[in-house]
This record gives sequence, C-alpha cells and structure tokens, in this order.
Amino acid sequence: MKHKITENEIIAMTNQVFEESFEIETEKLQPQMNIFEDLGLDSLDIIDLIVALQQKFGVQIRNDERVRDIRTLEDVYRFILSLKNEEH
Amino acid sequence: MKRVVISGVGAVSAMGNDVSSLVKGIEEKKSAVHYMEGWDQYIGLRSLVGAPAKLINEKTIPRKNRRSMGRMSIFAVQAAEQALSNAGIKHDELTSGRIGCIIGSTMGSAKSLNETFEIMLPQKDLTQLSSMKFFQCVSHTAAMNVSQCLGITGCVLATSAACASALQAISVGYDLIRLGKQDAVLCGGAEELHPTVTGSFDVLFATSSNYNDKPHKTPRPFDRDRDGLVCGEGSGILVIEEYERALKRNSKIYAEIIGYHTCGSGMHVSQPDKNSIASCLRQALASASVSSDEVDYINAHATATIQGDKEEVKAIKEVLGDSIPVSSLKGYIGHTLGASGALELIVSLAMMEKGIIYPTMNLDNVSPDCQGINHVMEAVSKDISIMVKNCFAFGGINSVLVCKKL
Repeated sequence: MKHKITENEIIAMTNQVFEESFEIETEKLQPQMNIFEDLGLDSLDIIDLIVALQQKFGVQIRNDERVRDIRTLEDVYRFILSLKNEEH
Repeated sequence: MKRVVISGVGAVSAMGNDVSSLVKGIEEKKSAVHYMEGWDQYIGLRSLVGAPAKLINEKTIPRKNRRSMGRMSIFAVQAAEQALSNAGIKHDELTSGRIGCIIGSTMGSAKSLNETFEIMLPQKDLTQLSSMKFFQCVSHTAAMNVSQCLGITGCVLATSAACASALQAISVGYDLIRLGKQDAVLCGGAEELHPTVTGSFDVLFATSSNYNDKPHKTPRPFDRDRDGLVCGEGSGILVIEEYERALKRNSKIYAEIIGYHTCGSGMHVSQPDKNSIASCLRQALASASVSSDEVDYINAHATATIQGDKEEVKAIKEVLGDSIPVSSLKGYIGHTLGASGALELIVSLAMMEKGIIYPTMNLDNVSPDCQGINHVMEAVSKDISIMVKNCFAFGGINSVLVCKKL
C-alpha cells in the first residue's frame, strides 16, 4: 500500500526546496513568511519553485491556477497537502 | 578620433583565478593541460585532455545574479570584477551609460545546454525546465550576466565568432570609444570546457588525441609532432578606456590599442587560408599606421592544428617577414576559444611590461611546414613597443589587434 505523506513530511520537503533552490536559511522558513516580501522570491523564481516542487513531490502543477494564490510558505504547504489528499 | 588604452585586466584560467597566477604559470613553463576523468565514456571521443579552470568563490555572487549564470558567466563576472578593480573604476561609475560591456564566446554555457536537452528530450517534456536555462544558454550569456551583475547601463554586446570572439569584442569596444560613443568598455571573452565542446572539434579531427597518456606534452603549436588543439576554459576581461580619461584618473596604462582588422575568408568554413590571414594582418597594420619592421612581437593564434599553424606561418612570413619573434600560448592553457584573444592578450601585455617574450610551450622541433619565421623556443628578453595579436576562427573569421606601449 502506498505510504500517505504526512503534513510534517510536506513541510520538511518544501523547506528543503527553499533551502536548496533559493539558498534561504533554515531559520527564515517560518509558515507565515511571505515568499516574495520576506523570502525574496520573484516571478522567475516562482517558475523554478514550481519545477522544484513538481520534482520533489511527483506532481504536475505548472497549469494549476491555485499556484497564483500562493503568498506565504504556509500556502505552499497547504497547496501540496491538498494535492496529495486529492491523490487518495 | 579618440585614442584608446588598456587600463585594467582580469583573468580566470586553468592556471588560476587571477592574472598573476596566469602569468606566473606561463613564466614557470607550467602546463595546465590534464587528462579529463570520465570523458572516456563518450563513444568516438578521441581527445581526452583539457585545460580546466576551477570554479571558486562563486557564492560571493548574489543568488539573484548567479541563478542566470552558467560556469562561463561566473568566470566572466569574476574576471570583470578583477579588471574593474585593477583599473580603479568604481561600481557607481558603471551606471552612467558611458561604460559598456562587450564579451564574446562561441556559444552559451555548454553544461547548461546539455542539461536542457537532457531534461527536455527524453520525454519531449518542457514542464521540468528551469526558467534560468535560457539565460545560461544564450549566446550573449556572458555579456548579459556581467552587465546585469555589475549594473552596467552602457552598450552591451556579444561578439560570437568562436575563437575570434574576444578579439572582436575588444575591437568593437575600441571603435565605440574612438567614436566617442562610450568612455570605457569592459571587454573580452569567456568559454567553458565540456566534452561536447571538445567533441565538436574532435569530429572534425582537429583535436589532439595522441597525448592522452601524457597531457602536458600537448598541444604542440608549430611542432613537428603536433596533432591538434586542446580545449581550455576561463575568461579574460580588459578595461579599455579613452586615453584622456585614463590619464585624468592616473590609471596604469598597459598599452594603447592602435589598430585592428577583422575579415572573413569567404573560402571555407574550416580550412584556414593564408591569403585571407595575410590580408587581415596587412589591413590591421595599415589601420595602425605601422610598418612590418616596427613590430616587435607577434602573439600567434597557433592552436597546434596541422592546417591552421601552417597557414598562419605562411601569412606571417609573407606580411611580417622572418625576424619578428613569434610565440603561441596555447601549450600552457589550451585553446580557450572565445576567451583566447583576451587571455592571451593579457599575457602579452605582461610580456610587454616585463620585456620578456614567453616561448611556445611544447615546441621542441619546428615542423618543416612551420619554418621560416622567428619561433621563440626559450624565453627571451626584448623590449616590446608594438605587438600584434592574432585570432582566427572556424567560419573563416580572422581578427588581428595591434597594441603599442606608451
């Protein structure tokens, strides 16, 4: 039976994407952080965030409209969680 | 027309990550050519040697600037920073619009190009491609990244003419300053070593393949036992500047650029042609108002290919005679392609400053087809007042620059 990914695993793996792809210090990776204003990502980074999340979680989100609503790190966690819940 | 001088130099090469390590390595007759581990996995790749530079301190470049850079652009930014610092030009001057950036290369980052194809082609799927691949792969990647990273708002151009790229970049910069369109230009070239780059020459049988077990013995420009070129990598960047401006700033002046010429052979994409090289040399000398007997040193293109070296010798002999000292630097650092014109010019400027001509490395026995010019086989002391730098590229593109000591 396929292992259902936990919320904590999603948080850890998402944080890993921000550390590896965007070189953001672990301490800054708090759920309320705005990914643009606080973490410094820009529109080009969002494209790479999508690619990195796709690879990390084995999902296709490039054309998912919900990506446009993401503002905080917590939004990213919730978005991935909802995708994973949809799989089950 | 305004006068143009060279007032700053910066280099990243297989000898090290600054100008002094490059010059010192050559002075000590070191070879930076190595056996390339892992290249033997490529079927049909005969040449397994290269002159790799080291990627160091790249994280000092902010991520937002670095993300669009492949290996060659990082080299270019580091060389450009050195050249600016060497020239004493401050970063806030770069936003005036009066300082340009012209950096050439054969193509964009070879590693990034390969990664792009590896991601995209197996499944014909673009959804996993990073937004940054475009910026790393384009032909103007080095010029674009250096200008963005340093905030340069003047003319930004990329001369893409393979091995003539850097010399063309310097020549274009020279014209822009002469015409009063720019006050100074950061110019030069950058290139990156990769099995696909060596491979592209290897399929043409232009690379060295007999020295895989003794890499320091190749390339061998002008030598009887030469068997082709060895690819290298790095970046050479020079600050060229309007003469009066450099004087006002009390900047060190390495040399004055007094002329150049660039032309096509119109004959063949890969076969070098003596007549077209000779024509380029003649027109470069004419543009500098210099006669052949005034030239003190010729820094040859000489990559150690059978055809190229032979044709260059014939052209030099015809235009400049048999007495002017000639040497090639490719035996030390390999052929850095788009960067070669700048890196080798920088070493030639060091020769001019020190009054020493560095010899052609691995030239043990002058090939019968390369005789008739004054080959420098051991370091010699000589005052160099006027020197000629040659670069010739696949595509039949010739480029010659003439510099004078002030």
